[in-house]
Amino acid sequence: METQINANEASRSAVGLHDSGHGHRDLLQLVSFHVGDEEFGLDILRVQEIIRIQTLTRVPNSPGFVDGVINLRGKVIPVIGLRKRFGLEELAHGKQTRIVVTEVRGTVLGFIVDSVSEVLRIPADTVEPPPRLSKVEREYVSGVGKLEDRLLILLDVDRLMSDSEEPFAVRVSGT
Amino acid sequence: MAFQEENELLQDPAIMQEFLAESEELLQRLDQDMVALEAAPKDAELLNRIFRALHTIKGTSSFLGLEPVVRLSHRAEDVLNGLRRGVVELTKSTMDALLSARDQLGRMLGDLRQGGLKQYAIDPLLAELEVVQKPAETPLRLGEILVASGTIEPGTLDSVLQEQAASPQGPKLGELLMKKGLVSAADIGNALEAQKQATKEITSSADQTMRVDVRKLDELINLIGELVLERNRLAQLTRDLSSGRQTQEILNSGFSECAARLGFITEELETAGLKARMIPVDAVFRKFPRLVRDVSQSLQKEVDLQVRGQDTELDKTMVELIADPLVHLIRNSLDHGIEMPEARARAGKLRRGAIRLEARQEGDQIVISVGDDGAGIDPERVLRKALEKGLVTAERARQLSPREILDFIFLPGFSTAEKVSNLSGRGVGMDVVRTNLKRMNGSIQLDSVPGKGTTVRLRLPLTLAIMPVLLVQVGDEIYALPLRSVLETSSIRSREIHQVEGAELLHLRGETLPVLRLRKMFASPRTENEPSEGKAVILAIGDRRVALLVDGLIGQESTVIKPLGSYLHHCSSIAGATVSGDGRVRLVLDPPACSLPWGLPSDGKLCNDNYVFHLDARRRESWGTTQPTTGSDS
Repeated sequence: METQINANEASRSAVGLHDSGHGHRDLLQLVSFHVGDEEFGLDILRVQEIIRIQTLTRVPNSPGFVDGVINLRGKVIPVIGLRKRFGLEELAHGKQTRIVVTEVRGTVLGFIVDSVSEVLRIPADTVEPPPRLSKVEREYVSGVGKLEDRLLILLDVDRLMSDSEEPFAVRVSGT
Repeated sequence: MAFQEENELLQDPAIMQEFLAESEELLQRLDQDMVALEAAPKDAELLNRIFRALHTIKGTSSFLGLEPVVRLSHRAEDVLNGLRRGVVELTKSTMDALLSARDQLGRMLGDLRQGGLKQYAIDPLLAELEVVQKPAETPLRLGEILVASGTIEPGTLDSVLQEQAASPQGPKLGELLMKKGLVSAADIGNALEAQKQATKEITSSADQTMRVDVRKLDELINLIGELVLERNRLAQLTRDLSSGRQTQEILNSGFSECAARLGFITEELETAGLKARMIPVDAVFRKFPRLVRDVSQSLQKEVDLQVRGQDTELDKTMVELIADPLVHLIRNSLDHGIEMPEARARAGKLRRGAIRLEARQEGDQIVISVGDDGAGIDPERVLRKALEKGLVTAERARQLSPREILDFIFLPGFSTAEKVSNLSGRGVGMDVVRTNLKRMNGSIQLDSVPGKGTTVRLRLPLTLAIMPVLLVQVGDEIYALPLRSVLETSSIRSREIHQVEGAELLHLRGETLPVLRLRKMFASPRTENEPSEGKAVILAIGDRRVALLVDGLIGQESTVIKPLGSYLHHCSSIAGATVSGDGRVRLVLDPPACSLPWGLPSDGKLCNDNYVFHLDARRRESWGTTQPTTGSDS
């Protein structure tokens, strides 16, 4: 039993979760969303809110991955297009497009995703460390959650934004 | 930390905050009162006030179980009691001991604010307060810091101090120690830094609380009450609308009345909210009597500080931001402005110099001036220095007016001081003052008459929060320009812009202005056919004018500027953002940053300085014509 708990602890810390205090220590609550063909999961405690896409204001001479800024109830927050961040083809925003508002290192910011699907509870022990992805992808993947019929990529937004000074693509070509 | 665990009252942040706010205020006033006491040692009223302040701090801190604070304030209180009863005489050393007790208390409070009391070696200070009739060293001296850090032995310090006292020129302790090879330059540097840290006022960083006059809060609450009434009215109107009971006409007038009143109330609310943030500049000014006393004493000069207009109110943030520049200016006056008493007497002036610190409101600006009746600044010497440093060509130098020459003082690294003291003359200072002022959207003006004195005037906006802006259009983007920087706008045709050595220039009523194209600066989309006619916004950046080309002007607006946040902080040409009536975000330009020639490294040296434009043709070439090197790839 003890090893079991340890394994859970390990995977939990790999996912970067804090104890949510709900009592269900081995359940992860995730918001799942789509970007491109992939489905991603983000710890629900990290998600402040999910809003519809709104008109962005472009910020001249800003880092490439910052799509612009929006007004979130009087507060101006930067918005990052995950498609652009992941090097995917950029599409026009549609009816399903959402902004996932989260706080990364003390800064509130929004991620543009293609669509938000649901809130999932998955057992923490079904989360496996990231498989051998390309070096770039491993940077922001904290684990892969196995669902019955599909895989969920657990996003590590802290690491995703850690090198925010330089756009992702620059580093990819550099390695 | 140990003390904190003993008393659970300390765990209550509200009580702690209250204690800190109160005590810090008392301490600041103590400063002023103590210096005043030195001038009038018989003033019983003053003495009582000082005694009461310390007594209050002692009382509250013993209630909170802050034992070291209690011990120190108690001992200081004893000295004051002696003074009150006339048993103790108020000598310089008495005052020094009391002031260092006050400083130590300040440090303790600072530590409390940062998280908790540390270990303090206050025994020497306590002993000093006890034997205060005898002359003693204050523990903030450079030598003591070196001893405390274990760099030198107490015995060594004593012998060097004796040597220092014996020497007629009175060399600096640090220099003596270094000459003897007892300490390294780095040691001295560290100790000086520690000294600076120790004397630094505690309010600066963590001070996120403030005291607000209850009347100001009442005003806010009143307005909120009115807001609630309007909300109810709006709810009623909405119900009427959906029920269809009222005629269109009544509804129309109801809604428009409601909108008008809401507009009125929000405006009032805005003013009241800003007023609540305003505090008297006295919060900063009252530090200066002490500063002037200490510095003039160490320079062996005789200086009076005359303070006027300390009731003038300014936004709290501004008051904090203005503190450092003022310290610089006052130190400059003390160090370079006011002459030694003998020199003053020779020049037919009073032996005591005077520094005037004054604040007053002029329209929507606050003017703070620091003036001295000292030696003034010799433009010839400034010009020589500028030539020496290659900041100006000999040819250009002949055309400069005295005012323009004095402006060299604001360049980074510029100092005419023949010898470097630990106060000023290191070439930092005036450029820092100017940078800080810029951050506050303020400006600085320096006037000096050789032999008569120097006056520096700082002009500040009343508040940082609300800013009138001019909205301009480029392509389908709208940007806001701070109206403060806008001199005029004018319609221009593209043929009115001339190409000179690759730079674009606009002739406007006989004046030649460099041209910046906002479209190019911001790599705005749809650049294929720029309109042949556009608008030029003439911006004043420092004492230079620049023509900013935009597609069209939209109008004026009063806006609340919000920061862009850390991910976008390096977009230097943007000062912040504002939210327009339709909820969209509009970016506010930062005119000084815009004037940086794009495509050149912003090494800070050529930052916004009029001379760079005049003097350096190579740099001028890139004005406004180069494409931005960053951001356009997005």
